[in-house]
Amino acid sequence: MNYLELGLKEAVELVRSGQLKAGEIVESYINHIESADREIKAYLTTAFDRALDRAREIDSRKEKGRLAGAVVAIKDNIVTRGIRTTCGSRILENFVPPYDATVVERLEAEDAIIIGKTNMDEFAMGSSTENSAFFPTRNPRDLERVPGGSSGGSAAAVAALEAMAALGSDTGGSVRQPAAFCGIVGLKPTYGRVSRYGLVAFASSLDQIGPLTRSVEDCALITSVIAGFDARDSTSARVPVPDYSAELGNITGRIKVGLLGRASLKGLHPEVASSYSRVREMLSALGLEIVEMDFPSWEVALPCYYVIAPSEASSNLARYDGVRYGLRVEAAELTDMYVKTRTAGFGSEVKRRILLGTFALSSGYYDAYYVKASRARQVISGELKAALERVDFILTPTTPEPAFRLGEKQDPLAMYLQDYFTVAASLAGIPGISIPCGLTREGLPLGLQILSAHFSEGPLFKFAFLLENNIKFSNNKYGINNRGRRKNEN
Amino acid sequence: MKVDLEHLSRLASLELTEEERELLPGQMEKIIDWVGQLSSLATGAGEEYIPVDFKLRLQEDELQPSLPQAEVLAMAPDKQGDLVKVPRVLREK
Repeated sequence: MNYLELGLKEAVELVRSGQLKAGEIVESYINHIESADREIKAYLTTAFDRALDRAREIDSRKEKGRLAGAVVAIKDNIVTRGIRTTCGSRILENFVPPYDATVVERLEAEDAIIIGKTNMDEFAMGSSTENSAFFPTRNPRDLERVPGGSSGGSAAAVAALEAMAALGSDTGGSVRQPAAFCGIVGLKPTYGRVSRYGLVAFASSLDQIGPLTRSVEDCALITSVIAGFDARDSTSARVPVPDYSAELGNITGRIKVGLLGRASLKGLHPEVASSYSRVREMLSALGLEIVEMDFPSWEVALPCYYVIAPSEASSNLARYDGVRYGLRVEAAELTDMYVKTRTAGFGSEVKRRILLGTFALSSGYYDAYYVKASRARQVISGELKAALERVDFILTPTTPEPAFRLGEKQDPLAMYLQDYFTVAASLAGIPGISIPCGLTREGLPLGLQILSAHFSEGPLFKFAFLLENNIKFSNNKYGINNRGRRKNEN
Repeated sequence: MKVDLEHLSRLASLELTEEERELLPGQMEKIIDWVGQLSSLATGAGEEYIPVDFKLRLQEDELQPSLPQAEVLAMAPDKQGDLVKVPRVLREK
């Protein structure tokens, strides 16, 4: 039997009922990662011995958790006790955390098995994983293309069957965009839904941890485990967590769906546009009520995000000074040590964002940039909230184009435009899920983003499940696609 | 808009390489001009966004275990006894 193709939910059922050993599953993943990851490069650090020990311990027990035998990869900005956590940066290259993030504790408490830490854009700043200080990750659908980012390692690992599921983090689209590029499911939960204790901070008013999975069902199951109040994260919400996977097929009542009007779809890649109109036809065929909507403030959502996020980053990243942990470059004077350490430790995109944030927060510019962006954020957020009172869900393409080639986007601004459809939900704190909705003629996956109101992950999963079943994405085989293999290589 | 990169890098405790000194001003100015579109959105003196609308509460004042001192010190690049060691901050005149 091929354990790699086995879905997370099926695998867990087999392990829990004693029909399959977690150890056998882990061994088949280790064998596959050892060969496949030479090309994909999804992992920065693997934890094979620890995973095997965990699996044996789970197999020896009668009582097993809700995720027994689930092989999960963790983005390398989520701390893991005793496993190196680099955040894709030289400044944390040798950092071994003394504690686990809450999400890691919760996964392990339900007997999930952590198999390794995945590659990412440095400090989650980027949309291609090319900003990793170590190496780029490749898209399993086409090895000459990027997997998206910043959670590109997590998305590629899941799509290449190197993990059953993974955790990522999403600040402006960093779970949803790589999920779309790799043809998998990715959720950014409501702000406050999942604890961020142990997530390396990038932009604290936006960051959320979310799962990347091969199905909506798996995504619902993982979210049920990681969500919920945590006293160690002061922004974590005291809102009860339902069992999201229990009633997936059970969607009732009249569903109203908001679709973007022409004005909001300007400049789209033609195949993204035609995929979006096929979705519209499918919704009509399902008999759903469609409301066409435009969001005038979305024009400034990206600029707003690119003031808020770098501002918060410049403040959050001030902690990397070489004193208590991480890289230190020695100098005779304390302040020289700070400067030398930060200069050697941060890559160019991180420096660019720190400087942008420093600019937006500096005397003389604070009101015109930061305060203005914060007011714009209130308008953008209000517009989305009002729209979600009229409809149950808003559907958009996840990305303006399919996965691009490595090295294709040299201009930072061109890279920022990747987030066009994803930042609004981040700014408003609402949940958003990306599900696969087809392939381009070249075989590149496209994603459909579904947005809903705060803390409505339950209905969101049900609706995503309904669409997933109607889209029938079965022609997208997981694993590595040989067609895009690099040429001139022996 | 022109940016004073020397000033900003001093505020951010960063030094720039030759290459960055060449590339960054153009890139930063382009990005700052682009985010300048924000001024086209009428917000007046409207409200600023607050990320959480649920009540923040204080934690109970209870003693809880913290990370063991030895593990925390083990992360430090340099130490002396139970202290993290850094270059001299104050010096005699």
